[in-house]
Amino acid sequence: MTLAEKQAAFMRSILDEDAALPDGWGHSQTLGMNVYRGNYRSAAMGALESSFDRTAAYMGEDAFRQAAINHVIANPSSHWTIDATGSGFDETCASLFPDNPEVAELAWLEWAMLDIGGAADVTPLSPEDFGDASAGFGDQDWMRLAITFQPRSACRSVANDLSDMWQALSQDDAAVEAKRFEAPQGCIVWREGERPTFQIVQSDHARGFSAIQAGARYGELIALLAGEEPTPEAIQRAAQSAGAMLGQWLGDGLITAIEA
Amino acid sequence: MSVPHPPVTPFGGFGLGLRRTHYEDFLNSARVPVDFVEVISENYMLEGGRQLRILDQVRERYPVILHGVSMSIGSANGLDDDYLEKLKSLAQRVEPLWVSDHLCWTRTSAHNSHDLLPMPLTAEALDSVCENIDHAQNTLGRAMLFENPSSYLTFPEDEMAEWEFISEMARRTGCYLLLDVNNIYVSSQNHGFSAEDYLSGLPLDRVRQIHLAGHDPATPDRPVIIDTHDREVSEGVWELYRQAMEKLKQPVATMIERDDHIPPLPELLTELDHAREAAGEMVAA
Repeated sequence: MTLAEKQAAFMRSILDEDAALPDGWGHSQTLGMNVYRGNYRSAAMGALESSFDRTAAYMGEDAFRQAAINHVIANPSSHWTIDATGSGFDETCASLFPDNPEVAELAWLEWAMLDIGGAADVTPLSPEDFGDASAGFGDQDWMRLAITFQPRSACRSVANDLSDMWQALSQDDAAVEAKRFEAPQGCIVWREGERPTFQIVQSDHARGFSAIQAGARYGELIALLAGEEPTPEAIQRAAQSAGAMLGQWLGDGLITAIEA
Repeated sequence: MSVPHPPVTPFGGFGLGLRRTHYEDFLNSARVPVDFVEVISENYMLEGGRQLRILDQVRERYPVILHGVSMSIGSANGLDDDYLEKLKSLAQRVEPLWVSDHLCWTRTSAHNSHDLLPMPLTAEALDSVCENIDHAQNTLGRAMLFENPSSYLTFPEDEMAEWEFISEMARRTGCYLLLDVNNIYVSSQNHGFSAEDYLSGLPLDRVRQIHLAGHDPATPDRPVIIDTHDREVSEGVWELYRQAMEKLKQPVATMIERDDHIPPLPELLTELDHAREAAGEMVAA
């Protein structure tokens, strides 16, 4: 057996307690393997507990532990940092708790807030900088305008008021109840200096943010907001909405660069 | 292929691992009485943010050692070049006393255990480790330190003692050693070898740093000592540390590792004073 084969067999034994131990292994190796198996599980569980303390507090110890075990088994780590263990935990929660979408939304938010904390430091474009840069823009320049957001800023549709939940859980109030929106809203995560932050926005705003983040130009944002087969009035309203979003993104320090 | 790198200059002193619970102590107090701090490299291999800014501030006040847990120098599939580049970037930013990791493997090409897994002590494994160390040192442009691991099993196919493996590894690659005295103690108890033989078998002139830590003793239900870093250093480890310090001819950096049940900083500083006493270098407060 080569070294690579030995290591693959060792790893299989760690990940799967039912996997056969390598030939020639005796009682002492079995005892040792039990330690490595325990270490693997406790490290992964510890990483999830550390990354999702608010989600864990909301779910309760037993439910969180069950979700964490499911996640670790279904998603064995492949990244060099154990912090990556939490990637996709919101999806695990979504599949396990389909009647409680707030759990997955909270897990997504907690992960996004953690993730952006280590993103590259950037200097936001101030409204004044933007004004200077766009002073000579013609209509075509505006239509072609590309906007770059802070690295690793994130956005998703949410059905629950995460602001209330986040605030309560930050104050160790695990008894907080989820408050469902009448219609889905959006949640945008970004950083103010070093401090991760988030905001609940209307669903159109979230769609616009996601479109720009995916590479849409400002003109395409207006078209998206105007809808299919738009009337001149709808285009006018869409342009106003896009302008308001642009102003908010600039005010929040979300934009780091523009290109026409 | 081994490329000569500048030697790692000995640095004598006593330090602690920098942990988040002690950030304020290190940033706000006039001066924490340590000669250096060691940080877990992976915690700072980030693109930006508060963690890196804090490390920069700590670095302005203290010498820093980068200690990694994820290089996986024993991986048969080679090293992760993305990881190495991030570590190189961090080292260029921090300008550490040195960069260290463990003699172990942590991952296959498919999965990562996030644990320091034991190497079979075979000629094939030695070749693989040396090739990886050469690659790491060439990429980083510096000689590294590697720490002897604690382990909970040995392999039936082992061909040499761990100290023989480490000695040959250091000879072939020019790497230096981070001597974890607690790990020697833990493995010697788990595998029934003499800790004194282990110490005597190492090229002690290559040692630049010593780790001290606590462990979880064996129980009737679990006849394996576990390297937990969650309590005070045991008397057996202190005795082995005294023996090591008697044998070492060059200055070394000694530190207390605590990764779980981390007490307030003054408690760790008291334990560090114990290390100073044991080393015969008690510094007047």
